[in-house]
Amino acid sequence: MTPLDALLALSLVTLLLTLSCRHQVWCGVLTTLLYGVQLMALLFMSTSIHYGVPVPSGVHFNVLGFEMHWAMTPLAWFFALITLGAAVASSWYASTSWGRHYAATGGSPGLLQVALACNVVSMLLLLCSADLLGLFISWELVSWASFLLMASAGGAAVRHALHYLVYAVAGGMAVLAGIALVYVATGSLSFDAFVASLSGLSAGRLWLLLLLFGGGFAVKMGLLPLHLWQARAYADTPGPGSAFLGAISSRMGLFGILLVLVQLAGLARFAGLVLPLTPFTALDLLAWVAAFTIILPTFTALRQTDARRLLAWHGIGQGGYMLLGVVMGDALGSAGGLMHVFNHATYQAALFFSVSAVVYRTGTSDLDQLGGLVTRMPISFTAMLIGIIGLAGLPPMNGFVSKWLIYQSLIREGHPLLFIAAVIGTLGTILSVYKLIHNMFLGQLRVEHEHIREAPWSMTLPMILLSAVVFATGYLPGLVLRWIAPVQRELGLPVLDYTLGGYQSTAGSLDMIWVVTSMLGGFAIGAVLFYAGGRARRVHQLDNYAGGHFLDAATRYQYSYNFYPALTRLAAPLYRDSFQWLESALVSMLQLASAGAQGIYRSVHPSLYLLAAAVIAWLVWGGGH
Amino acid sequence: MGWGSVLLEVTLMPLLAFATGLLLVLMMRRIRARLERRVGPPFFQPLYDILKLYGKRVQISHGFIHDLGIIMVVGGYITVEMYLPMPGMDGLAAHGDLITLAYLMMVPSLGMALGVGQCANPNGSIGISRALMAMLGYDIPFMLVIVAAATLYGTTSLPDIIAAQQGGGMATWGVVTMPVMAIAGLVTTHVMLAKEPFETYVAPAEIATGPMVEMGGKFMGGLFVVQAFQVYTAGALYTTLFLGGGTSWLEFLPKLCAVMFLPFAITVLFPRFKAGEGLLWVWKWPTAIALLGLALIYLRR
Repeated sequence: MTPLDALLALSLVTLLLTLSCRHQVWCGVLTTLLYGVQLMALLFMSTSIHYGVPVPSGVHFNVLGFEMHWAMTPLAWFFALITLGAAVASSWYASTSWGRHYAATGGSPGLLQVALACNVVSMLLLLCSADLLGLFISWELVSWASFLLMASAGGAAVRHALHYLVYAVAGGMAVLAGIALVYVATGSLSFDAFVASLSGLSAGRLWLLLLLFGGGFAVKMGLLPLHLWQARAYADTPGPGSAFLGAISSRMGLFGILLVLVQLAGLARFAGLVLPLTPFTALDLLAWVAAFTIILPTFTALRQTDARRLLAWHGIGQGGYMLLGVVMGDALGSAGGLMHVFNHATYQAALFFSVSAVVYRTGTSDLDQLGGLVTRMPISFTAMLIGIIGLAGLPPMNGFVSKWLIYQSLIREGHPLLFIAAVIGTLGTILSVYKLIHNMFLGQLRVEHEHIREAPWSMTLPMILLSAVVFATGYLPGLVLRWIAPVQRELGLPVLDYTLGGYQSTAGSLDMIWVVTSMLGGFAIGAVLFYAGGRARRVHQLDNYAGGHFLDAATRYQYSYNFYPALTRLAAPLYRDSFQWLESALVSMLQLASAGAQGIYRSVHPSLYLLAAAVIAWLVWGGGH
Repeated sequence: MGWGSVLLEVTLMPLLAFATGLLLVLMMRRIRARLERRVGPPFFQPLYDILKLYGKRVQISHGFIHDLGIIMVVGGYITVEMYLPMPGMDGLAAHGDLITLAYLMMVPSLGMALGVGQCANPNGSIGISRALMAMLGYDIPFMLVIVAAATLYGTTSLPDIIAAQQGGGMATWGVVTMPVMAIAGLVTTHVMLAKEPFETYVAPAEIATGPMVEMGGKFMGGLFVVQAFQVYTAGALYTTLFLGGGTSWLEFLPKLCAVMFLPFAITVLFPRFKAGEGLLWVWKWPTAIALLGLALIYLRR
């Protein structure tokens, strides 16, 4: 039994135990501990992974002549680390107080834990699959497990989860078609055969392969134009579930792209693939898809009035940065893209936790119904503050480092417009996250929220720990870059020559140890100057300038609705719901086709249908002879 | 560089930046006064204003985040100054490049936004909403200037950018090698200063000075300190990217004053844009000029 077998077995045991004890109050605590043990088992493999040696599994099957086996590679290890970290945090958060509250409001915390365990098992299987058959089977498992988690709340969530499922099944079929293409060419489903088959492929076949695999994986990642399902499905998943999904679930799409298109196919192959009638290559296409995935969902997030929707839309946008970094194909960009996967998971989970804590106390995540909670929920506020600084990609948090690496790569590789696209995304994020924190925690506290207390420790501790990781890996990014170097080596990409504080080069350096220390120093001087200025008197929020009017408790003195009116007005003509239109056009077309087909063979003229089918069959077979 | 000299530089740089900033603020107020046919304030007035505000007996705070906001604004700019080289001192510029500097410059804005947010005054929040929209406007041409400079000089390290310009004389200055970008940069600098016609987020008659509505005493004093840092940073960054920085203060200070003279002088001539109009103007003109400048740089390569 290898360490990988132990990990997978442990993961399966976690699922079975969760399933059998899901009605017990201690179920959440037990699963949290078991995820913790799984995380330990994963860290146990880190030495081997660090030297780039995969940890194989002793188990292998022979299905219909296809060999199925598994191995933990550095790439898989990096994603598994985030998966298990997110699982520990989410399960912990859901374990006691939140779970009881969820049960009291009609939900089933046990089902949520089971769905979470299904996700973890299927994701680990996906990450460790070492052949195309295993990859496809676990890809489908991941899709259905996500569906279970999304639909676990019932009601409208099921509708959004079904929306997802349609996309996921279509994506899965695209991947299957890609695999079939490989099988037809090689007669094998092993990774080696796939790599060998690529050299003889024509440009057209290569395009097809890129579209099938890339498109299939892009669905999960929510890349434009396949993103419509994600925000609603994620936002309507119960609190900790949405944190898990937002942190890692959609990144499985990126994993697929990294494995199949970067590691097996190699980015260089697509660099030579020119888009017909244009000077652009397939890589340019991917980069611009990533750039639009950054910009459009970010500005859609800006328009949201629900905190969870807002975060979920940002999750889609941040995926664009990861892909953009990776398709640059250089050491800086790919390291930035990969590091962003880790960074995003940490702050996104913290943000979802913070929002869920507010929902737990106030019952709403409507940004127009909250305000002023900082004095009541200071820990949730702090977690959100650290999270939004990370999400916006400002120093001193970890999000800045990964984005810096991507910016540097874009400049050095000569893509100024992509750089500007990435910057526009960051600026939009700053606007959006300020609206988020302002409308929830700043401004006027509502009368009905006067007596609210901070969320319980079982919810705030995971938040605090995640925020600490966001800060610590911003202060010492080398800790994460250390895990990324073997991944880059495995993917066949140039390896980043990192330092503990970031990156040193004559063309521009970043040393976060200096940056963060100097910021803390600057703030310390700022604090000394501030507190030297004498004591300030704290006043009540209603003791405020109101143009000569007196404010009382009944007066709403808060600016939250339509927070950026000028921007909304300017951007309004750009929002024509084109993607929604595209989706509904596709749906209508399919409905029409299926209605036509049904009309023929079911009722109207069955004999005509049979005749037509017979003629076609005769033409196909008979024509051949 | 030893620890002693590092410590000396990171102490001196914010102090010198502050003093120079006060001088620029004085210049700004004197120019405005002369154009309005007044005498203008005495030499030490900018400093007196700050001392007076810090010394106020009544200081009003709306809570810890209000305090923290001011600390972040002042502290953030102190940090920024450590990464912006000045004559004879590179400070920490070796540890954080132009991009880091650009993002460090956003930290004070975030601090301001947080602090104002807790004041629970809609005027303040509207001011922040407008300020952030303005940032979304001017940061696009600003980042175009940065990417152009990084492309032209082949590095984002500020000391290297300065050395590249000082090594070859005036012919290698950014203003000569990328003149179109220099125009875009100057316009952007003006927009960043939040003076007319771009002071939509202060708009005293409309939203009661916006972010400043609940600021008094040392809170306002902190913002006055920041104003000095802000004008210095804008001028020094422009001088660094386009005018070769300065080998000595005798060269650096006149350049700074020359850069800031134009925005300070023409601001007096304008009324105020509406919030959306200003944003559109910035996306149209400086951005278009900057894109043209960028295209020229790429065509020449």
